[in-house]
Amino acid sequence: MTSLPYRDKPSDSNHGRGDEDDEEEEEVDATSYKHDKDAVLFAIDVSESMLTKPAETDEKKPDASLSPTVAALKCAYALMQQRIISNPNDMMGILLFGTEKSRFQDGDAETGRGGLQYPHCYLLTDLDVPAAADVKQLRTLVEDEEEAANLLVASKEEVSMANMLFCANQIFTTKAPNFSSRRLFLVTDNDYPHTSSRDARNSAAVRAKDLYDLGVTIELFPISHPDRGYTFDRSKFYNDIVYSATPSDPDAPAPLAADIKPASSTARDGISLLQSLLSSVASRSAPRRALISNLPFEIGPGLKISVKCFILLKRQEPKRTTYVYLPPDSDKAQIAVGSSTLVADDTARSVEKTEVRTAYKFGGETISFTEEEIAKIKNFGDPVLRVIGFKPLSMLPVWANLQPATYCYPSEDEFVGSTRVFSALHQKLLKDQKMGLAWFIARKNARPTLAAIIPGAESRNEEGEQEVPPGLWIKPLPFADDIRQAPETNLVPAPDTLTDAMRVIVQQLQLPKAIYDPRKYPNPSLQWFYRILQALALEEDLPEKAEDKTLPRWKQIHKRAGPYVVEWGSVLDEQYLVWQRDNDKQIKPQVNGAAKRTKAEPASAGAKAKKVKKEDDEDGVTDAEMRDAYTKDALIQFKVVDLKGWLQGKGQKTMGKKKDLMDAVIAFFETKMDVT
Amino acid sequence: MASKEATVYIVDCGSTMGERSNGRQQTNHDWAMEYIWDKLTSTVANGRKTALAGVVGLRTDGTENLMDGEEDYAHITVLQELGQLLMPQLRKLREELVVSSTEAGDAISALVIAIQMIVATCKKLQYQRRIVLLTDARSAMQADDLGNITAKLKEDNIDLVVLGVDFDDADYGYKEESKDATKAENEAALNQLCEDCNGVFGTLAQAVDELGIPRVKPVKPVPSYRSMLTLGNPEEYETALAIDIERYPKTMRASAQSASKFVIRSDMAAGEATQSTQTMGNGEEAEGAAPNGTNDGLAAVKTARTYLVNDEDAPGGKKDVDRDELSKGYEYGRTAVHISESDQNVTLYETKPGFDIIGFVDKNQYERYLDMSRSNLIVTQRGNEKASMALSSLIHALYELESYAVARFVRKEMTEPRIVVLAPNIEPDFECLYDLELPFAEDVRGYRFPPLDRVVTVSGKILKVHRNLPNEELLDAMSELVDSMDLSTLGEEGGEYAVPDETYSPMLHRIAQVIKHRAIHPNEAPPAPYEILTRFSRPPDNLIAKTQRELDRVIKAADVKKVPPKARARRYGRGKEAPKPLSDLDVGALLALDPKRGGGKLKRKIDPQNAIPEFKQLVQRAEDLPDLQDACGQLGAVIEDWVRFSVGDSGYGRAVEGLRVMREEMGEMEEAGAYNDVVKGLREKVLGGALGGERALFWYKVRVGRLGLLLGSECEGGAGEEEGREFLRAK
Repeated sequence: MTSLPYRDKPSDSNHGRGDEDDEEEEEVDATSYKHDKDAVLFAIDVSESMLTKPAETDEKKPDASLSPTVAALKCAYALMQQRIISNPNDMMGILLFGTEKSRFQDGDAETGRGGLQYPHCYLLTDLDVPAAADVKQLRTLVEDEEEAANLLVASKEEVSMANMLFCANQIFTTKAPNFSSRRLFLVTDNDYPHTSSRDARNSAAVRAKDLYDLGVTIELFPISHPDRGYTFDRSKFYNDIVYSATPSDPDAPAPLAADIKPASSTARDGISLLQSLLSSVASRSAPRRALISNLPFEIGPGLKISVKCFILLKRQEPKRTTYVYLPPDSDKAQIAVGSSTLVADDTARSVEKTEVRTAYKFGGETISFTEEEIAKIKNFGDPVLRVIGFKPLSMLPVWANLQPATYCYPSEDEFVGSTRVFSALHQKLLKDQKMGLAWFIARKNARPTLAAIIPGAESRNEEGEQEVPPGLWIKPLPFADDIRQAPETNLVPAPDTLTDAMRVIVQQLQLPKAIYDPRKYPNPSLQWFYRILQALALEEDLPEKAEDKTLPRWKQIHKRAGPYVVEWGSVLDEQYLVWQRDNDKQIKPQVNGAAKRTKAEPASAGAKAKKVKKEDDEDGVTDAEMRDAYTKDALIQFKVVDLKGWLQGKGQKTMGKKKDLMDAVIAFFETKMDVT
Repeated sequence: MASKEATVYIVDCGSTMGERSNGRQQTNHDWAMEYIWDKLTSTVANGRKTALAGVVGLRTDGTENLMDGEEDYAHITVLQELGQLLMPQLRKLREELVVSSTEAGDAISALVIAIQMIVATCKKLQYQRRIVLLTDARSAMQADDLGNITAKLKEDNIDLVVLGVDFDDADYGYKEESKDATKAENEAALNQLCEDCNGVFGTLAQAVDELGIPRVKPVKPVPSYRSMLTLGNPEEYETALAIDIERYPKTMRASAQSASKFVIRSDMAAGEATQSTQTMGNGEEAEGAAPNGTNDGLAAVKTARTYLVNDEDAPGGKKDVDRDELSKGYEYGRTAVHISESDQNVTLYETKPGFDIIGFVDKNQYERYLDMSRSNLIVTQRGNEKASMALSSLIHALYELESYAVARFVRKEMTEPRIVVLAPNIEPDFECLYDLELPFAEDVRGYRFPPLDRVVTVSGKILKVHRNLPNEELLDAMSELVDSMDLSTLGEEGGEYAVPDETYSPMLHRIAQVIKHRAIHPNEAPPAPYEILTRFSRPPDNLIAKTQRELDRVIKAADVKKVPPKARARRYGRGKEAPKPLSDLDVGALLALDPKRGGGKLKRKIDPQNAIPEFKQLVQRAEDLPDLQDACGQLGAVIEDWVRFSVGDSGYGRAVEGLRVMREEMGEMEEAGAYNDVVKGLREKVLGGALGGERALFWYKVRVGRLGLLLGSECEGGAGEEEGREFLRAK
């Protein structure tokens, strides 16, 4: 199955929280009452034309021989599998229209109302969070021809578009009344329904306006048939149905996602209908939502614009486990919904939020503050991104990072003119490769950080589709507190001949275009997790082996760089001998040099002393010494540090007290060393 | 693991310390205590049993020390033996460290006592030993025996720090005018002592000044991975390269101390508890320390979790289940997937630890925003010289070729593989590779945004001149501003301004600061944050002054205008401006013709099945307030029915959405009353049980949805804040 990459929703309400540092403490979004979820209803046309397979088919490409209806169903099937995993709270449904059979929601089936109300509309999957059964049902339909032949029969009379749209209206109204994003994906090859009835077309336009007023967006996926000389023409009918998100100003910037081009039902251009539908759907599958809307961006005192921040990069983790309940009388597991209450530790009585006070542990007791005091202490000012100056990008140390950067883009909502100012800054920073340094408070009472503001250039692929949007990236920088000190090392610098040998190897193994393209590397663990979960849920066979594109191409590396690595290896051997010889003469200064660096740290003084004594060994104790002590049962003479160091060198566990360490050494000699 | 330490503080409590010298508001003692308390609370805050502190009072009224029989040792009191400090000790010290009424007491004798304390406690063990002497040096000192003391300090490896009230310090730039003779003499003696034993001699002003500079907690480097860095597959090919390496953290977020949640213990009245947490001066602990460890009248708050599952037989369709009855699983859509204990590992992708180079990339094309994680550094296995030379050649090759390596990294068996970028770092005596995680395909969200340097219009034209694009003047002005606001030479000695090493986490140190303050001053308001914590919250002052001209030019060219809050207020009879489909078809006209919808100006009935769209259409065509009131009334009635005939909560979603739409539309029309009248009526019926019985959950949804009265702050004629709050209450 062609796959859309699995991906979690921007920020999942229940799962995946807590890994975001301690940020989320406060702040409820002003629109939180509206479910921040997406509901997609596929409406798929089942007409004679939609059920006709392409005339010319290629045996090698089974996907290309699908009828448009089946291709659309397969696309819906793929989307359902993806969303069930990536957007676990989102809803999806499938409505067939133009079918001989009619069916509406389950409840209405009993009254017999549904069929009569919406003739030739067949609600295949009601709008809901999909269940495994829905996926299975859909899979049967797209894989079992008999099943399909039974259901996918075009009606003799034309279905009323107005009625179909109202049917969709009712589905959204009852099943997803307060979702922030509700979309009707309409798949058809008929650009001019109700050819002879202007009234019927007008009714459809009215029903489309109802949907618009209800807050439902219609996204049209039109299909052309080049083999029949038929090109879908929106202007005949669908431009009366579809609303643009942008005002009617001809100079207004075009909508962000370009119009979906009519997909072609034939595979002549190499892309099957299914693939082009999938890519159209994929480009619409992620509703955008700002992480921070209208953040004040202060470029200088008195020069304020507003920006919106988005999460464009976020590590996706496998889903967490939940608790399930296995009722004793059935093997159908149920999801247990957990809820938490605060209780006092002393009496286990439940506690109201207002009673809770915060206190800090200190010196065996607690130091407490009132709510107002805490609020005041944590308040470093209102949310802002305030530039304090600029630096060359080259001054940003490579290691200066803690978390993924946040993308930001101008917004005219608060300040008219934000876009042009932002654009001017963006162009300047890009051109001169500079960065801004800014004081950044993301939310009310959030921890302030210093952040680098890095310009990001727009990049597009060969087809002209945007791959990386232009904008500025806010990259929080580490404070002195966040920087760890480096361990002590005893550097042996490589001589130029050795570096030269390595340089050839590096030159041989450039990645394509000498860049890292994340799109080429799916996360193998994540993919594996979801494949297993899906197989378990749908009672499929478990897959044998995972595909892992992150593994280096060893064969290629061997072929292209192999001889040079061998060459490098011999230079290394040679040069190391030279170094050893030279070093013998200068052994004292070398060791002293190291000792000088360690002087600042009295803690390591013991190790230093040892180094001078036994010049050949950095780790303190040699194997021979240890073995000697072991045979004489005199391990006790070593210090804990020495035992640990030696054990570590042997890859052994170094936990516990001195006795444990001695036991570990004994165990090591008893089991491992005897072999040699 | 930090080393063990033992510090004795000698605090001068003589009567002269009660004076206010050189125009200061505080007494010398209070001033000195700022320093002492900071040091002591820092020791308490780190909570280590191996950080010992002791306190000796100098020139105290009483005498209590090991040598207290001898006259030379009079007026010296050991207030705190060397040990771990906790709150009770702090409280006690706070009582005792007060200005005395004597001038007598020899600082050198106190020093002897302190040395004895350290010797007695530390013996010959590994300790960092230190004595801090804080005095105004205004009492007589027997300074003739200093040679012995110097020898002893050196022998026992004790660091000596002498801080004086208004001591002269040329380095710091302080000199006290008309210093009294005894003090001058003592100062000289103490200075000499410090020089002899390599101690630190300083003036108190500097020490207090520097209290604001946060101390960074050093963390001993611990490797997170030690094994091989490979290029090629050593198991399959002989041409593979492998270097023994160790990986250490380079950056790691240091987070502020986290607060715990407490409630006042049920056996305590609220007043009492507050008392005992806030007054530590009385030195008494709250009676009958609580069994859970806190003795301040607070009980910890814990989270209790309960689990519900569907059960058709149970009242309400749900029943409680015990945690023990549950097993682990995953959600697959609405379906629960149970995974038995033995199958837990089936979802794990099998991996072996390793650090494999995939290939190399161009440093100059690497986008810095791709960094996904904190950074680590890679050095060779300790003591492996050959590996060091080998890694060094890779580091230098990368550096010379301006390249980075990309590698696949598995930390330990069965953990997720990550892709990391490896960047070379060369310092005079230190070389390493830095590594940072890179995103996978799934981690990148394909959102698209319009270009910033051109505008593509709806009609497909590409514009270079547009209100959203900067003109030449703005571009040029911005360019000048950015150049003038350069920070790269604005730091100390012409270096870079605000390098990471000089910036401190404001939240972390702020919280530490107020905790320490409150521990000593329970009844005072928390102090203002140290200047250094907010120093980088705005451009440096000299920069602002220097760049004003450039800034003004940008402001003028940018012509940014704040959007007035009510710019969007709508007008009546807006039907003509209603949104249109792509074809510009006048659907409004079609609607007007629709016989079912009344048409024309006739009042029409909202169809409950299509209530929200028809309500909006009524509002769009409304000519005056009565039209709006009628529309709201009709929708209100429909909403009531949704609630009334709701089975369980089945109709609540629709009803809430209806309210939301009505509230939003009336807000935009600036007709608060039309909405408020409806919602008031609704509230009465809901809470009065007139809509099919108990509907508390519905009102809860209204409340969390913030769908109460339209407020005056939101639109004209709205309700007051207090009224709004009161309205949302259920009773």
